[in-house]
Amino acid sequence: MTALLEVHGLTRRFGGLVAVNDLTFEVNEGEMIGLIGPNGSGKTTTFSMLSGALKPSAGTIAFNGERIEGIKANRVCRKGLARTFQVVQPFPDITATENVMIGAFVNVGGARQAEATAREMLERVGLTPKADTLAKELTLLQLKRLEIAKALATEPKLLLLDEVAAGLTSTEVDVMLRLVRQLNSEGITFIIVEHVMRFVMNLSHRCIVIDFGSQIAEGTPEEVLNNPAVHAAYLGEEASLA
Amino acid sequence: MNLNFSGPVLSQAVISGVMLGGLFALISIGLTLIWGVMKIINFAQGEFLMVALYLAFFLVSWGHIDPYITILVTVPFMFFFGIGIFRATISPILKDPVMNQIMLTLGVSLILQNLALMLFSANVQSVNTRYSSWNIHIGSVVISGPQLIAFIGAILCTLALWYFLKTTDPGRAIRASAQNPSAATLMGIDVPRTYLLAFGLGSATLGLAGSLMIPFYYASPTVGVFLGLIMFIVVVLGGMGNLMGCFVGGLIIGLAETVGAAVLPGSLARVFTFAIFILFLLFRPQGVLTKRQT
Amino acid sequence: MNLKAPYIRIVVIGALICLLPLFLSSFYMHIAVLVLIWAFLACAWNIIGGYAGQHSLGNGLYMGIGAYAVAFLLDRFNMTPWLGLVVAIALSAGAAAFIGWIVFRYALKGAYFALVTIALTEAAVYVVSNIPALGGAGGMQMEYHGNSLYYMQFAGQNGYFFMGVLLVVFILLLTQWYRRKRFFYQLIAVRENEDAAEALGVDTVKAKIKANVMSGVLCAVGGVFYAQYFLYVGPRSVFGEVVSVQILIYAIVGGLGTTWGPVVGAVLLVPLSEITRAQLGNSYPGSQLLLYGGVMVLTMLFMPFGIMGLAERLHQRWQHRSTTQVVDSQGGEAS
Ligand SMILES: Nc1ncnc2c1ncn2[C@@H]1O[C@H](COP(=O)(O)OP(=O)(O)OP(=O)(O)O)[C@@H](O)[C@H]1O
Ligand SMILES: [Mg+2]
Repeated sequence: MTALLEVHGLTRRFGGLVAVNDLTFEVNEGEMIGLIGPNGSGKTTTFSMLSGALKPSAGTIAFNGERIEGIKANRVCRKGLARTFQVVQPFPDITATENVMIGAFVNVGGARQAEATAREMLERVGLTPKADTLAKELTLLQLKRLEIAKALATEPKLLLLDEVAAGLTSTEVDVMLRLVRQLNSEGITFIIVEHVMRFVMNLSHRCIVIDFGSQIAEGTPEEVLNNPAVHAAYLGEEASLA
Repeated sequence: MNLNFSGPVLSQAVISGVMLGGLFALISIGLTLIWGVMKIINFAQGEFLMVALYLAFFLVSWGHIDPYITILVTVPFMFFFGIGIFRATISPILKDPVMNQIMLTLGVSLILQNLALMLFSANVQSVNTRYSSWNIHIGSVVISGPQLIAFIGAILCTLALWYFLKTTDPGRAIRASAQNPSAATLMGIDVPRTYLLAFGLGSATLGLAGSLMIPFYYASPTVGVFLGLIMFIVVVLGGMGNLMGCFVGGLIIGLAETVGAAVLPGSLARVFTFAIFILFLLFRPQGVLTKRQT
Repeated sequence: MNLKAPYIRIVVIGALICLLPLFLSSFYMHIAVLVLIWAFLACAWNIIGGYAGQHSLGNGLYMGIGAYAVAFLLDRFNMTPWLGLVVAIALSAGAAAFIGWIVFRYALKGAYFALVTIALTEAAVYVVSNIPALGGAGGMQMEYHGNSLYYMQFAGQNGYFFMGVLLVVFILLLTQWYRRKRFFYQLIAVRENEDAAEALGVDTVKAKIKANVMSGVLCAVGGVFYAQYFLYVGPRSVFGEVVSVQILIYAIVGGLGTTWGPVVGAVLLVPLSEITRAQLGNSYPGSQLLLYGGVMVLTMLFMPFGIMGLAERLHQRWQHRSTTQVVDSQGGEAS
């Protein structure tokens, strides 16, 4: 059986800087993968390439057995690979519901249906009270949830979460944990980028650690946490591995 | 169609085209500078040039001042004119959506154009200076003296601006503000002030253009409409914000105008210039000297 | 609120407007026809400029293509403007698709689109002025046939007036209907945040090109109407910067991206400018455009959302205070 996502030799350069260097990994259907690394190690850049927002300098990406590297983001999304943005990207001048409807239109044609899907997704992320508020009036935390609702509305098979737990209180992290677990049990595969270790270590079946764009470790959360190379990479970093 | 490919006609067209191209570059450089620094298209730039041409015209015809001496008046005047317009209209809406800034500068252009129409009537005003009929003969090719001076002025102006931006402190401040306004602010640069300076400079280049053009061009309320169109085309061809590209873009359009006029029958000549423009849009939409972003 | 209410409102207002000929003199009927022409064109521009948020400054190009197509075909081949209309639609669709494709394929946007479109509409003025078959700089006079449906001509203004009302009602219904369609939501997503739209499966390039074509084709229809009313087309009267600016000023003053904004803008500004022209045009040529320039500057400085945008914001603030929950996502005009 082929994996849901197969990444081979993925590389991205910005001028002289190699932001992502020769990454190779697989993600199987139903898995939750943690992608961790210090600030600036290339996690978001990896997501941007997987989702089609950025063209890789080299390497291949196969999703569902189909090569998708270099194709445009909207087509990647319609194939069932969605992402959230670390720097939230709302549509500011329309309501939360309308924001999510844009995602829902990937699968439905009519506004009525799209609106129903949108309200359901807002319910799932706990934004129902803000359903008719303009996105520009939401707080950052609400916008992070809106990011998830928008991506969910596209009915992805694989969802890339970029720091959705950052800045949440401990209880909020718990709520988010439960939501992601629930979605995973419904069949959505996840790659999770996160500095909040409690979140990512709790969820991940497997972790990939990158530093300066290159993979330095892979394994279960325990294996990764006990890996000296990982400790060295995080040394001097604020994020604690505890 | 009788195409005319004879050698002397063509070499004359090429020389005239280079001269005209330099002039086009000179009038366009302010627009590309302003865009490069603050990401605003001043759609009134053509009308700013009209103001400069009228000023030069009146100085020469009423004040009997040598056209090249008027530079001492037109350049500072246009500098402060630009700053005044910027202060009054553009700086309050610097953070507004691009569409609003576009509309605002279009509004300013309509006001200037129609004020000129009311004040000076629709008449075309030109003045005969002692340079106006000065021609330089090289073999069979004739170069108009004032056009040659305008061409040299264009080169000097481009180099001076480039040198100013590269080596002087205010120039570096302008470039820093252009690249990253918030970082520039953190470094202690007064960004609104550098914008003001850049806008003033972009306007002052038109003062120079007005003085250099008046011996062989004219002033009229609508003179900025065609010249404004040339500016838009040159700036797009050169790559928006690219000073050297602007010069190359000017040369391309200048050559297209004269070579087209020499080779093609009258009615098709104009079409030729715009056809060249569309070809460049097709194959180098990002500008002649700019690499395409991936 | 009833989903049908906005449609009913449009039709009822349209029907009431049809009573105007009973009250207006010929001079004011002429102004009324002009209001309708420009309102229609502004609504057409609103699709690309207001909803899709792309800074098209060159819609005069499509208006000119429409006007010149019918004029030329009538003049040369005595072709009925109804067929001319079809040709106008095809030509403008091709031009709008081509320009949209050139600009949007490499994600060049914003001011770049503005520069290219304004350059092309201006270029059209010089090109048309140099083509003798199109009447050159003098333009083309179209033959008058009196009341004739075949020639889409009417004796007197009332026929044109009713045609104008039909067109404006049609375009308002069309926009209102499109507001609840996937395509319009996608356009608004493109306007609000292109990266986010792309990430949510919106083909932003295709959406923008489609919007440009829709807007261009409708502007060409407006151009056909314009030509039929004046029975004259000239390079500067249907192409060029001033015409293009006129098309969008009504939408901007009225309220960008709102259904009624372009109409409100035209209703306020066209009579004002026509009366200015009638009163001052002879002694002060240019007073009309000076007025437009002033209105544009003042609107941008003090009322950047236009009249409907302002009304919408006041309405929202009022609703915010008086009710706790807003149930209706249909009633508001702006999105
Ligand atoms: N568009 C770009 N142009 C130039 N350099 C870039 C660009 N995007 C990212 N980089 C650089 O690439 C490197 C990787 O950045 P990236 O955002 O992928 O890191 P990250 O792992 O997501 O970091 P963080 O944990 O802070 O979110 C950084 O050095 C960054 O400065
Ligand atoms: Mg990141």
